[in-house]
Formats: sequence, structure tokens, C-alpha cells
Amino acid sequence: MKENNNHSNAKRYGMVIDLDKCTGCGSCMVACYSENNVPFKTDETNKLDSLNWIRVYKISNNKPYPHSEVCYLPMPCMQCDGIGKHGHSPCVSVCPAVATDYDYSTGIVSQIYTRCFGCRYCMAACPYHARKFNWWDPVWPADMEKYLSPNVSARMRGVVEKCSFCFHRYQLARDKAYLEKRQELAEDEYQTACAQGCPTGAITFGDLNNKSHAVYKLKKSPTAFRLLERLETNPKVYYLSSKSWVRRAGDNYLAHEETEKINNKVKEPYEAKEHL
Amino acid sequence: MKIDRRSFLTYTTAVVLGGAAGSMLSPATWKITDDIAIWTQNWPWTPVPEDGAVSYKQSVCTLCSGNCGINVRLIDGRPVKIEGLKDHPVNKGSLCPQGFSGLQYLYGPSRVTAPLKREGKRGEGKWKKVSWDEALAAVTGKLAELRKQGRPQSVACISGSDQGTIPNLIGRFLNAYGSPNFICEPTAQDAIEQAIYLTQGAQGEPVFDIENAEFILSFGSGILEGWGATGRMLNLYGAGKPARKIIQVEPRLSDTAAKASQWIGINPGTETALALGLAHVIINESLYDKNFVENLAFGFDDWTDDNGKTHEGFAAMVKNYAPAKVAQITGIDQAEIVSLARKFARAKRPIAVNGRGRGFLPGSIDESLAVLSLNALVGNINKTGGVSAMPDPNYTQWPEVKIDEIAAKGMQEPRIDGAGSEQFPNTRYLLNRLPETINTATGESPVQALLVTDANPLYTMPDTAATKKAFDRIPFIVSFSPYMDETARHADYILPNHSYLERLQDAPAAAGNSLQVISLAKPVVRPVYETQHIGDTFIQMAKGLGGFVNEAFPWASYEKFLKKTLADHWRTLNRKGILEFAHDLPEPLAYTFNTVSSKFEFYPTARNRAKQQKGSALPAYAPVPIEGDIQRFKLVMTPYDSIRLSGGYVANAPFMTKTVEDTVLKQQTSFVEINPATARELGLKEGGMARLTTPKGEADVKVHLYDGIKPGLIAMPRGLGHTAYSDYLADKGTNVNMLIGAIEDPGSGLNMAWGIRAKLTRI
Amino acid sequence: MNETPLIPAGVKRCSKWQFSLWMAAVTAVLLWGVYAMFLIWYKGLNQTNMNDAYGFALWIWADLAVIALGGGAFFSGFLTYIIGKDELKNIINFAVIIGFICYSSALLILAIDIGQPLRGWFIFWHANVHSMLTEVAFCLSCYFAVLTIEFIPLILENPKLAKKPFLHHLSHNMHGIMAVFAATGVFLSFFHQGSLGGVAGVLYGRPFAFREHIFIWPFTFFLFTWSAAACGPCFTILVTKITEKITGKKLVGDAAVRLLAKISGWMIITYIIAKTADTIYWAYVTAPGLGFTLMDFYTSSTYNIGLLFAEIIVCGFVPGLILITKRGRESSFLLMTAIILAVIGVSLNRWVMVLQVMAVPLFSFNEWYTYMPSWQEVATTVLPVAYGLIVISLAYRYLPVFPQERELNPID
Ligand SMILES: Nc1nc2c(c(=O)[nH]1)N[C@H]1C(S)=C(S)[C@@H](COP(=O)(O)OP(=O)(O)OC[C@H]3O[C@@H](n4cnc5c(=O)[nH]c(N)nc54)[C@H](O)[C@@H]3O)O[C@H]1N2
Ligand SMILES: Nc1nc2c(c(=O)[nH]1)N[C@H]1C(S)=C(S)[C@@H](COP(=O)(O)OP(=O)(O)OC[C@H]3O[C@@H](n4cnc5c(=O)[nH]c(N)nc54)[C@H](O)[C@@H]3O)O[C@H]1N2
Ligand code: SF4
Ligand code: SF4
Ligand code: SF4
Ligand code: SF4
Ligand code: SF4
Ligand SMILES: [Mo]
Repeated sequence: MKENNNHSNAKRYGMVIDLDKCTGCGSCMVACYSENNVPFKTDETNKLDSLNWIRVYKISNNKPYPHSEVCYLPMPCMQCDGIGKHGHSPCVSVCPAVATDYDYSTGIVSQIYTRCFGCRYCMAACPYHARKFNWWDPVWPADMEKYLSPNVSARMRGVVEKCSFCFHRYQLARDKAYLEKRQELAEDEYQTACAQGCPTGAITFGDLNNKSHAVYKLKKSPTAFRLLERLETNPKVYYLSSKSWVRRAGDNYLAHEETEKINNKVKEPYEAKEHL
Repeated sequence: MKIDRRSFLTYTTAVVLGGAAGSMLSPATWKITDDIAIWTQNWPWTPVPEDGAVSYKQSVCTLCSGNCGINVRLIDGRPVKIEGLKDHPVNKGSLCPQGFSGLQYLYGPSRVTAPLKREGKRGEGKWKKVSWDEALAAVTGKLAELRKQGRPQSVACISGSDQGTIPNLIGRFLNAYGSPNFICEPTAQDAIEQAIYLTQGAQGEPVFDIENAEFILSFGSGILEGWGATGRMLNLYGAGKPARKIIQVEPRLSDTAAKASQWIGINPGTETALALGLAHVIINESLYDKNFVENLAFGFDDWTDDNGKTHEGFAAMVKNYAPAKVAQITGIDQAEIVSLARKFARAKRPIAVNGRGRGFLPGSIDESLAVLSLNALVGNINKTGGVSAMPDPNYTQWPEVKIDEIAAKGMQEPRIDGAGSEQFPNTRYLLNRLPETINTATGESPVQALLVTDANPLYTMPDTAATKKAFDRIPFIVSFSPYMDETARHADYILPNHSYLERLQDAPAAAGNSLQVISLAKPVVRPVYETQHIGDTFIQMAKGLGGFVNEAFPWASYEKFLKKTLADHWRTLNRKGILEFAHDLPEPLAYTFNTVSSKFEFYPTARNRAKQQKGSALPAYAPVPIEGDIQRFKLVMTPYDSIRLSGGYVANAPFMTKTVEDTVLKQQTSFVEINPATARELGLKEGGMARLTTPKGEADVKVHLYDGIKPGLIAMPRGLGHTAYSDYLADKGTNVNMLIGAIEDPGSGLNMAWGIRAKLTRI
Repeated sequence: MNETPLIPAGVKRCSKWQFSLWMAAVTAVLLWGVYAMFLIWYKGLNQTNMNDAYGFALWIWADLAVIALGGGAFFSGFLTYIIGKDELKNIINFAVIIGFICYSSALLILAIDIGQPLRGWFIFWHANVHSMLTEVAFCLSCYFAVLTIEFIPLILENPKLAKKPFLHHLSHNMHGIMAVFAATGVFLSFFHQGSLGGVAGVLYGRPFAFREHIFIWPFTFFLFTWSAAACGPCFTILVTKITEKITGKKLVGDAAVRLLAKISGWMIITYIIAKTADTIYWAYVTAPGLGFTLMDFYTSSTYNIGLLFAEIIVCGFVPGLILITKRGRESSFLLMTAIILAVIGVSLNRWVMVLQVMAVPLFSFNEWYTYMPSWQEVATTVLPVAYGLIVISLAYRYLPVFPQERELNPID
């Protein structure tokens, strides 16, 4: 946890998900399963014991026919910067065994399966239900083990897993850059499987600190919001929606509170000075 | 022994420290602890994927007719991930959930791993593994026997597609063998195709040039649920979001409706009335394209035929569809209808499209004609951003087939499904009529041997019970499926095809692309099991039959055949992976229509006589007489499509089912969607159990209250309720096809049912 | 024959047969729990009904509750050895045994609860000093060691063991320095009880649990320690009373019980006032700042506002007020009512701080999460109860647990 976090060129990788574009197709979920060796069971209908690193929720404005509207909302791990944005993510700070950690050079919250001893305190701490427990031994029936990717280790029973922002892709890209004697990664060199796979381009991924990356601008859009911002978890996943009921559904408000006013109050004021 | 406090403390401390030090210094403690840790971190039953050299292979996804480009990542030749091919014209780097699940179709418990011969009763699931030689000999023997008996026409083939060289190879086989009964599964495209033929005289794939349209009026098409070319539609949506307007007319808030600029709830089955009502307003307010209507169309005004009989024209006919009346039929506000008609007619590049959901059900010809007329009113025919027919790209060169006498006689027999008959002259395939034909035949079944490929009729056809009854009457069923699907499970022999990743095949891009793209699917991995390419299987069967059938197949293998038939195109296709054919639209002012009037026929004179004798051939709205007594069945049920569920032949992979929401499937039970108001009347609660009854069957379901569905209507997804495949799919929910039936369009014979009456009772 | 009896002199115990029968019954329950425990170790946590929303459930509640109730040990120890309330020597042995049972149970449950029991030691080896659970684990283990040390001399007082001079002297010497351990225990307890409060309080992603400013530090810590100190002794009294009922003997003099009850009463009252202040600040400042009204946390049929009322008024102020009044302590009915309510109160507090925290939906589009423990969870939670009964039975039968027993129950 303690590390020099004064990197002048520290990355803050993040996502902007345009809910107006998301059609709920579920490609991001399956792209993630197949990228990250996520196992499956015969019954996956209990969403509370189903391993999903990104879950697409379907939310509604709760108005009667024909005024009802629905919106899909994909939720990966928010890679929270935490209160004070010092890597004090809700989950990282509670893990007794440092099996999950905040990487100051990327802002990515890691999960070390072989270190995790399955106490699930991190799950209790994460308000987004981004963390999933391996209640069962993973099983790949009838030769399916053969399709497993060596880039992501298979998880054993009894440990927690979650979205890693496809960290192995970052490592591969960085290694390649290193061999080519480069310091910086281009925006398209490191992309997550879900962002890449989304058929409507709803997911944009990049360095939130880098002015030349698309996410830098998108996150400042007037229709941008984050989930449960008021908890000060400081997620690095942003959402865009042109619908005010959707933006309101992203957080909790008292009846009289106005969504945008509260949002503006909690929006991060700091990123300008952080980038080199 | 007396111990004082001091010595006690010393003693204790010494023991504790000594013990601690001893165990700490002993390598055993450390070794054991370390070993335990390592063991828990590497349980031998948790797989450790092998690492190796990375490579990529490009191919095409043929899991649906979308044909998206794929890029497969391999580790030492072992495929580990399928990704979208970045610069493929169809999908531009993305894939649908099915495409991403691809490797689960390569491996897995639902694969048929070797040729199988049935043991025990049909459908019982007892099989004997046989050699390819034995399986081929058995099937060829049976076919030879039927030919010898002089009834080759009793062999039928159900195919999922008629596009590309494989279906054509099979068609050629049947031709040389002597059977006219190559039957494709009809979809909405068949109805649209026919409507285009009737109005424009053009044969070919319907093209809705959505890419270049700006205002899309969709009559229930599941543009985001897999309609048309799935991958392309999704891409288009993402790219076009700000500019394009989509108006979705549908009784249920589908994903397409949810993402549309506007959703208009409509009484189910009244789309034709709305289309004609919109036409009424457009004509009434003179908003139509005068040039097109006056110079290039026929039957807009009243006309007189050669016999001097006067016929009412389109303009006069739509007077019957005044907004007030249409409002009543459709349940849409009158002002809304008028405003929609104006917006449509005034839009820069409007297009109207139809085909419910993914287009699994053909629908009525009247509906397709009405929608097409709407496009014609705004002059949107044979235009960029419009509707046209794309002729067969014709990229293959086939040598002539010579046929013998038996085959010639067989080919003259009428088709068993009645397609192309006097009654249904413009229809090519009528699979929906097959079960009834077989079930009502006196004596033997007219089908003595059935070959099934790329199709799963025992699951996908409406009225599963009737289909199964018909199949039980067919003495010999052969499946070529790579998967143990419902139909394969019911076969006598399974001659398993390679899975799509092991197979060489040309893949013509799906309907709707204004640019015809032929991709080459190349094997990305050597066959994992003892399967065989279906092309090779048919070539070997032809060899076994000998004579002219053999002569029709002068190729040693499918690969050789493909290279030969593609001729000059092979090199390009092999090198680039795709062939592109521009869809040349006629010059703007030189429309050529192949109709009797040489114009676009608002009044389709070629429409079959049965209809014309009764009166007009113009499209008209008449409620489809959906099955069920309204007193007994107070609700109406429609199937719906979801992109996370495959309703077609290639069923869900485990990954897809994993994405299905818990308001669609919970453990073994499907949900029906119902409006909360209707649910309240019936005393039903969210998640509660209910018995769903339709005239075709019943099922126990769970109830999901959904504000986005019209009161009185209930909806159920396609793609659940399989009984075959594997534990990852079988016995999950209800197969909606089991609960619905088909209703013949009197003019086309196609299934025009869109739903069925139903009853829900709390249990 | 010159055989030393196993049973301490001067006291009467039930027949061997009676005892064996009783032990057999309790052992059967224990074995059921042990079976479930092995099932869980062998097959994994899929044997429970926990899920990703209920990562902490029945067991963690049982853990927190048992530790709170075991708080009688450290607090009585504190009062006896450090404050010098000699009267409590009459009950301290039993308090230590109950504490020992509670803490060993807590450790056992933790060993079942974690997904990778064989990696349990990672919490020590790879300790993250920022985690409340690390602190809890360290203090808990140390305090358990202390309790063991406190328990040992009592075991050595068994007549048969005491015959061995070494053991006799060991016991004697250990008694002599018990104050040192008691003090250590109190110190450790303060920490881990507090840290357990912190476990929930630091969850800033969980508005039901989260507290701010002084209400996180020192309040969440303080409240847990204080409530354990307040209600733990009530549990000691409760178990004593039950033991008396079963054995049909008076084992601890009224003076000791009443003194402990009186101290508990004042502890409960002060605790519940502090808890009320905490609740009010949370309900009116913390939660609304996060977009929640108090009632948002009580919209479920299970988790309704009655729960808060029960915790604070019925199981807080009521027992507190009873115990601080002389009449309340002297009426055996009121005394029993109060200690039972107090025991329920602290258990309820631990329940909501674990289960309700998990159940509250955080998004407007989520429902309340529901959870029903599986039989395996229930069995393994009952297991410590059976284990406790066995230890208490053995201790009572073979050890001089109650110094006043002979005097209160003379054998004629
Ligand atoms: N995720 C997922 N996606 C799938 C599937 C799946 O299982 N899962 N299944 C796939 C399968 S098997 C099928 S059959 C398809 C269903 O889709 P297909 O059977 O491939 O549909 P088509 O018959 O091509 O088209 C259905 C309707 O699309 C309309 N259409 C759409 N765009 C155009 C266009 O531009 N021009 C023309 N002429 N018509 C157009 C027509 O009205 C046509 O009737 O879905 C496929 N997509
Ligand atoms: N490259 C390329 N390939 C094509 C085409 C193309 O243009 N280009 N054309 C495509 C066309 S037109 C088609 S239809 C496809 C078919 O082939 P695919 O789309 O690849 O496969 P299926 O899933 O079999 O598609 C149709 C499904 O709908 C079901 N179905 C049909 N009618 C009904 C019905 O009335 N009720 C119910 N419940 N189900 C029904 C069928 O049983 C079948 O399972 O072939 C396609 N193949
Ligand atoms: S892939 Fe894209 S469109 Fe599909 S559900 Fe995910 S974010 Fe939404
Ligand atoms: S979303 Fe949850 S798991 Fe991810 S960083 Fe935030 S608290 Fe941790
Ligand atoms: S479950 Fe694993 S990652 Fe989570 S807090 Fe416990 S040890 Fe850390
Ligand atoms: S970023 Fe990677 S790990 Fe996270 S949800 Fe997307 S695909 Fe999965
Ligand atoms: S849309 Fe069809 S072709 Fe494209 S990835 Fe999906 S299944 Fe494959
Ligand atoms: Mo199709």
C-alpha cells in the first residue's frame, strides 16, 4: 500500500461507458469470460454466486406502459481511487493479507488469487458487488480446458476474483514497448477485452490523466456521472447518459435533492494538476 | 519439588522460547508450512494453462448468418480466444456474445465426437459409435434402395440456409439423385423477398440500406436483437447513434425499442393497419414523392385491366385507413399517427423496415407489401438508403448436372411442402407445411428419408408436438449436426460435420448488406474429434451411389471442389479472406422493373389468383386469426428475441446462457413478461409461479412484471427449453415454439402467425 | 484403595450414568456440527447459503456475538484483578471458562469461514496493518492464548492432577501471576473488541455501517468494547444461572452476582446513551449526506424499524435501567429479564452490524438481499454451543470452578 505515489507521469486508467450506446447485448460479459478464463456452471441463474467480472444491469424508470423506459448499465470493477484518492480503495484497505492492492503506476486494483485466503472482507467493503467469490472448484467439461489462456491464471475454490482491467494486457503491452525501447504506451496498445469487444463502441478505455486519450475529454462531459459518487469511493469508471433518470439512478438522493447539484459537488476537481 | 516464582518464570520462559526457537529453526516446520501454502495455491485439479508461442488466424464466424470477421488467438496452435477482426467490413472488430463464445462450440459436452448409429428407441439417447465407412455405407445404402424403388422424391433435406456452396452442393446432390425436396427454413426474409418480387419483379435478397438511412421506421424489427446481419446492425447502431433516428413500433419495450429515439406501443398484429394508415396521411396531405408515384409506379390510381374491369388503386384503398380508425385498431393515438406520417414523409432519408424480432417468423405478405408501399410512397426504392433486391452474386461456376431417368421422374414430382405449386407460386420453401402433410398422409409417410443439416426443426418449428409426430412417421432420419441437438438426438444416424472453427467454407454475408461480402471461413484448428466436413460427406455419398450422381461430383474433396467452383475468385478470397461485390443500383431515373407494367406495382398484379378472384390484390389489414378461443384464453402471447439467447439452430453456448438475466430464467424455469396491471387482475406477483396454457400446450412458468409490455399481452423468449445438447442448456425453461402454432398466409403459404392466445393461472 | 477421586472433595456430582447420558446427547449434537465442518472443509463454502452479496453472514455474526459475550472474561478479570473487586473471585473462574469457550469457538468458526483455511496464517505472515481484520486476528489469537493461560491453573486444580507436585506448583505459581495475564488480556481485549467495531465502521462503501469523524474513531471501537464489557458479564451471569438451574444448586453468592449486575447496568446505560448519540448523528448527518434517510435502511419486512427500537430501547435502556436499580437486581425475575435482554441486545447489535449491513441495497434499482443459512451453517454454529456445554460440564464436574459451592451447598 505504501509506495511512492508522486510519480509525475502516473497513469490513471479508467473507462467511460456511454449508456446511450449500450444495447445490453452482453458481449462485454462474454468477451471478459473468454479473455479471463472465467468458469461457468450448469446453473448460472443465481446472479449472486455467478462469476461475472462485469455485469450488465437492466434498470427502469418505473413508469407504467407506454411511458416506461429501460437502460442497460454494465458494471465492471470501478477501480476505486478511494477516499482522498490515495489508493485507499474500500476493498484494498480492508484486506488483511494484502491479497488485493492498489497499483500507483496505473491506478488499477489488483487481486492476487494465490494470496487471498477467502475471508471476503473485501466483498463486504465493495459497494458495487464487483467482487466475486469462488464458491466452487472451477470445472471445464469435455476438453474445454484446452481453450484456457495462459495469460490469466485459473482461480481455485475459496478465493475472491474481480475485473482486473485486463491487467495482463497492460503487462504484455508494456513488455513490448520495453523491448522496443519505448516509455509510453499508445492509447490503442492497451485496451481491455470488453472495450474492444463492445459492438456499439459504448466502452472507451484509456488514461484519465492523459489529455490525448479519449476518456480524458469524455469524463468531463456534462452528462458524465459515476456510480455512488457520494460514498467517495472515487471510481475510475465513468458513465454517460442523456437521460436524467438514469443519472439519478446511479446514486442515492434525498427526495428534495437535485441530481446535478450534488454531482457537481462531488466531482473531482483535481486531475488538471496531476498530469505532467 | 518446590518452585519459587522466580525459577517458575525462568523455567516457563525457557520452555516457551526453547520450543519456539526449536520449531522455528527446524527446517521441518518451514518446509511443511511452505508446502501447504504452495499446495493450496496449486491444487492439482485447478488447471494451469500451458504457455507457448502466440499466433493469430483470421477467419469468419458462421454461427449465424451475420458472418463477422474473426481473429483467433492461438498458443502453440491451440485457440484460446476469439476476437473481432478489426478491419472486417461487417463487424469492424466487435462480436456478439455468441461470437465471443465460439470456443465453447469447438469443445464441450454437446459435441458429437464420432459417427453414431442409434441403439434403442428414437430419442432415447443410446448410441453406438461406428466408423465413417460404416455410417456412410448405411446412409448411402438406404438412399440407393429408395432410388431403386423409383421414389427418390421421398428423400427430403431440411437445411438452415440456401446460401453459399454447401447448401448448393447438397441441392445439387438431391437434383442428381432425383428429389425436388430441398427445404430451407423460412424467415421474415422470405415474405419480404416475395413482396419485393410482387411489386418490383426482382428476385434476390432484400436489401434495406440502413447504413445510408437517417430515419428508420421499424415495424417491430429487432434491429439490436439479431435482425438482419447481427454484428453489422450493432455496429451501425453504435456508430450512428447521434445522427440516426429510429422509431420502433412494437407492443413490447424490446432492446431495440429501449434504444430507439421513440418507442410507439401498438396492439400486436396490427402493423399492417398502421402502415396503411400512415400511407393515408401521406397521400391525403400530398407528402408523397410525386415523381416516383406518377412516373415510375403503377396501381396508385384506379386502373382498368384488359378485360375492361376497373380496379381500385392504392390511393383510393387507403382511404379506408383514416387515422381515427387506425387509432382504434392499433391503439395508437390519432395525433401520433398523423405526426409519425409527416415525420416519415418529410425526413431526409426515411426507410421503413419489417420482420418481427430477429425475423424467425415470416409474417403476412400483406404486411410486407404495406411496408414496401410506404417506402415506395417516399420514392425509396432502388436508391441509396432505400429498399432493393440484390441479385445472386453468382461467384461460383458449376458444371452442368446430368440426370438419369429415375432422377428426372423424381424431379417432376410436386414438392412435398407445396412451395412453388399453383397455390403458392411465389414461395420457395414451406417447411411449416411439412408436418401437416406428413401427419395427414394416408398410408406411408411421403418422406421416407430425411436429411437434416444446419437446422434443428424439432426445436425451432412451431407446434413441437406435431413436428415430432411427423418425424416419428419418417422411417429414416440422418443428421449432419456437429452438436447433439434435438433433431440429431432423434435421428437414426449422425454423420457429424466439423464445427465452424474446423471447417473450410465460403460465407456469403447475411441479408440486408447493401454491399455483398463473401468471406472465406478457414479452419483455425485441426478437427478435434472424428468429424468430417459435410461437403466431403456428400461427395462420398455421391460416390457410393454411383452413376450420374457420382458424375455430378467430379471432385475428390470439398476443398478441391471449392477451388474449382470459385475459379478466379478463389485466389482473391484465399488471399484477402473476403470478396466484395458492389450492389449496383439502377440509374436514378432509369428504374427498371420486371413487372407486367414495367413499373413499381402498388397494385401487385402478379399476386396469386386465389386472392385476386376475391377482389383486390392490394395489401389490406385483416387481423391474423391467431389460434385460441378468446373466452378461454383471455391473454395473447408472443415470442420475443434476445441477443443473449439463440433461438435458431446453433443453440446457446454456456457463456451465453450465463449472461441471461434472472428475470428471464431462474434455475429450471422460464419467465413470462406481463404488465403489472394485468398481473394484478390475475393475482400474480413478481417471481410467482403460474401455469401458462395455450391451444398448443402448457408449461409452468415464473412471472416477471414488466412495465414495458402492453397490458393483456404476455411475452416469452425464444431459445430456452432445450431438451438436448448438454447439462448446460437442456431442461432450462420452456421452449416457446412448443406453445405456438403456425397459420398459413393464404397467398404465400408462409407462416404469418405472430402469437397465440394464452391463459395464465396462478399455481 | 488409596485412589484420589477425580471429583473435587466436598461437592456432590450426579451419577456416572446420568453424566454419560448427558454427555452422549451433547456429543451427538457436536458430531453433527463436526460432520458439517468437515463437509465444508472438504467441499468448500458452496455448502453454505452465503453468496456474493452476503459474503459475511451467520458465522461472522456468531463470531462477533460470541466474542462480545465472551467479553465477560476480560471485564470480570479487569474488575477482579485490576480494580480489586475481590467479591468477583467467586465468579471469575467461570467467567474465564466461558471466555475460553467463546474465544476458541470464534477461532474455530473463523477457520471454517475462510475460503482457504490452510492459508489462514497469511493474515499473520502477509499482514496488512491497515486492515481491521489483521488487528482483530492478532489480538484475538493473543488473547486466546491469555485465556488458555488463565484456564490452565484451574485445570491443574483437579484433585488428580493436583497430586502431582510439579503441576500443583505450576498451578500455584500461575495463580500468583494471574493479575499480569488479566491485565494483558484486558489490554488485548480492548483492542480487538474495538477493532471488531472498526471492521464495520470503516466500510465507507456501506452507509449502514459507516461512521464519520469521532464516530468512527474512537466511537465504533469504543462502542464495541463498551458493549462487550457491559453485556459480556450478563452472559456470564446468565450461564451461571442456567448452570445453577440444571445442577439445582446455588453456585455463586448473590453478592457477586449483584455486584457484577450493578456494574453491568451502569455500563449498559452509558453504552446505550453513547450508542443513541451515535445513531442520531448517523441518522441525521452521516446517512443523509450519502443520500439516505434513516427509514431507507428499514424498508424490508425483516429489517424494519422495530429492530432499531428493540436494540436500543427494549434491549438497551430497559435492561440498563433494571440493573442500576437495587430492586431490579434483587428481584430474580427482573434480574433474569434484564440479563437476557442485555444478551439479546448485544447479539442483535452484532447481527445488524453484519447481516443488515449486507442486506441493505445500495442502488435504487436493487432489492434487499435475502439470505437463509444452510443446515451446514446452522450445524457449525450450533457446534460451539455443544462444545461449550461439554467444556462447562467437564469443568463443573471435575474442577473447583465455584469457590462458594461447598459453602453454599454443604454435604451432610
Ligand atoms: N446473438 C445471436 N445472434 C444471432 C443469433 C443467435 O443465436 N444469437 N442467431 C442468428 C441466427 S441463427 C439468425 S437466423 C439470425 C436471424 O436473422 P436471420 O435469419 O439472419 O435474418 P434474416 O432472415 O437475414 O433477416 C430477417 C429479417 O431481417 C430483415 N432485414 C434486416 N436488415 C435487412 C436489410 O438490410 N435488408 C433486408 N432485405 N432485410 C433486412 C428482413 O426483414 C428479414 O426478413 O440472427 C442471428 N443472430
Ligand atoms: N451468408 C448468407 N447466409 C445466409 C443467408 C444469406 O443471405 N447470406 N441467408 C440466410 C437466410 S435467409 C436464412 S433464413 C438463413 C437460415 O439460416 P441461419 O440463420 O443461419 O440459421 P437458423 O437459425 O436455422 O435460422 C432460422 C431459424 O428460425 C427458425 N424458424 C423459421 N421459421 C420459424 C417459425 O415459423 N417459427 C419458429 N419458431 N422458428 C422458425 C428455424 O427453425 C431456424 O432455426 O440462412 C441464411 N444464410
Ligand atoms: S458490449 Fe457494449 S453494448 Fe453490449 S452490453 Fe456491453 S457495453 Fe453494452
Ligand atoms: S469497485 Fe469494489 S472491488 Fe473494485 S476497487 Fe472499488 S471497492 Fe474495490
Ligand atoms: S477475501 Fe481475499 S482479497 Fe478479500 S479481503 Fe480476504 S484475503 Fe483479501
Ligand atoms: S476490463 Fe477486462 S477484466 Fe474488466 S470487465 Fe472488462 S474484460 Fe473483464
Ligand atoms: S453476429 Fe453472428 S456472425 Fe457475428 S459474431 Fe455473432 S454469431 Fe458470429
Ligand atoms: Mo436465418
